[in-house]
Amino acid sequence: MIAATPDRLSLGEILEDSDAREVRPRPRPGQRRKESRLRQLLRPEPVFWGLFSMGGFVSAMALPASVAIIGIAFAAGWPPDRAFSYERVSSLAQNPIAKLLLLGLVSLPLFHWAHRFRYAVHHQLGVHGMRRPVAVACYGTAIACTALAVWILLRI
Amino acid sequence: MGADTIALKVGRYRPEHAPEPYFDEFHVPRTDDMVVLDALNHIKDHLDGSLAYRWSCRMGVCGSCGMMVNGEPRLTCSTFLRDFDSGPIVVEPLRYFPVIRDLVVDMTDFMEKLKSVKPWIIGEEPPIDEGEHLQTPDQLEVYKQFSMCINCMLCFSACPVYGQDPEFLGPAVIALAHRYNLDSRDRGRAERARILELDNGIWDCTFVGECTVVCPKDVDPAAAIQRSKVSTATHMLRAVLPFGGRE
Amino acid sequence: MRTEAPRRYPVYVPKVPTTWWVRTAPFRRFAAREFTAVFAAAFSAILLLFLLALSRGQEAYEGFLRWLRLPAVIVVSSVIFVALLYHAVTWFRLTAHIQVVRLGGNVVPRRAVVGALLGTWVVVSSLVVYLLVWF
Repeated sequence: MIAATPDRLSLGEILEDSDAREVRPRPRPGQRRKESRLRQLLRPEPVFWGLFSMGGFVSAMALPASVAIIGIAFAAGWPPDRAFSYERVSSLAQNPIAKLLLLGLVSLPLFHWAHRFRYAVHHQLGVHGMRRPVAVACYGTAIACTALAVWILLRI
Repeated sequence: MGADTIALKVGRYRPEHAPEPYFDEFHVPRTDDMVVLDALNHIKDHLDGSLAYRWSCRMGVCGSCGMMVNGEPRLTCSTFLRDFDSGPIVVEPLRYFPVIRDLVVDMTDFMEKLKSVKPWIIGEEPPIDEGEHLQTPDQLEVYKQFSMCINCMLCFSACPVYGQDPEFLGPAVIALAHRYNLDSRDRGRAERARILELDNGIWDCTFVGECTVVCPKDVDPAAAIQRSKVSTATHMLRAVLPFGGRE
Repeated sequence: MRTEAPRRYPVYVPKVPTTWWVRTAPFRRFAAREFTAVFAAAFSAILLLFLLALSRGQEAYEGFLRWLRLPAVIVVSSVIFVALLYHAVTWFRLTAHIQVVRLGGNVVPRRAVVGALLGTWVVVSSLVVYLLVWF
């Protein structure tokens, strides 16, 4: 391992006369702030990861059929007319269980997206730093849309 | 070139001569039982004694000889020349680590991170006269796979998250922390959690899975990390819920 | 994390390209898998608009249905559908990788777990179709 003890010439000192220098040094990270106990207990990451996980599950199980019916089959004219009639849909949507399911179908995939997209911004789009703003923007969008969905569902 | 030799393009970095790395090409004899490490040793012994690289056991248990071979992180002692149809075989230092010289990389970051997760049994040891700290085969089975890590750092070179963000703890480190968390003799979960659950701990991982693909000992660090996430999340849930149970 | 004394020797630190994820097939598959989350969010947005239109009354709702029938929207929905299928398959594989399933002391092989999840998917999808069309 690296042992540059003060009483011995290190390689760096030996090479001082040469062109040796640190090429593209890695940015030196700042010292991590000491975290308060409260902050340790109330970490948001497990919550968002948990929502991401549930969202991934819902997106895998329920979403393909949903988009197939709503986005493709309906547009192609396959379901019978009454299936998407205002009377049927609005009466179905009055049901509180239906509202919960619909909320899940809207909100959970958004949290799934928020978590994955947040890391994609850093790892695939190459945005370094700005971890807080990116996280707030992504999760904030999911939270806002969830709130909007709650408000809409309560109005139906 | 005859079928009994093969070309090796070897990464060199000699800051006292040139500030940028470069490649040297060597032709080494090839036999069916030679590995890349044998080729490097041949270069060192007969062609260019100034080549710097690490190796030790030459049988895949020490973890010293990790390098990039044709762009993949491999143990050079376990990579056979016969698996390459034709050269040149490109040998470079392990990716994402600072290069000190030729094929030697700076392991400080890995060593510090490993230390920070306290990879040892934490907790009260039974007094000597009470006998051994007993563990059943089933209890061993729970963590055994993750104990196989030889600290070769191939997983770090395969991990794009570590490549983009050197602050990330890294696959092997988290897998080893998980190994101790799973050990029935250990009580250090909460202590390790302080490091694992930081922003650059387990949560930075996006389950690319390449770490598991390159691991020469089938440790499956990706599984260890995701299971840590599950365990942490359920742990927190139980702490918050009134009927959660312990801790 | 990094608390060691400054190095006394030069090192070379290569820059990692931002395009790392297009360079190998496994990384491309990973990026595609992650990107499917965007399509899931797109569906959520469409569903949200659907509910918004529904809450505004019959005229708004039927206007929204007309919008759904636009060719561009059908194309987008089809893309979302394919993306979500890829998401589902990769999600089940990831789940099988993480979750160790034991059946009477033996570990269930991963392929069987994926198969079971796919079977569940068929059942749930059928239920969803039933609820949306006939319930």
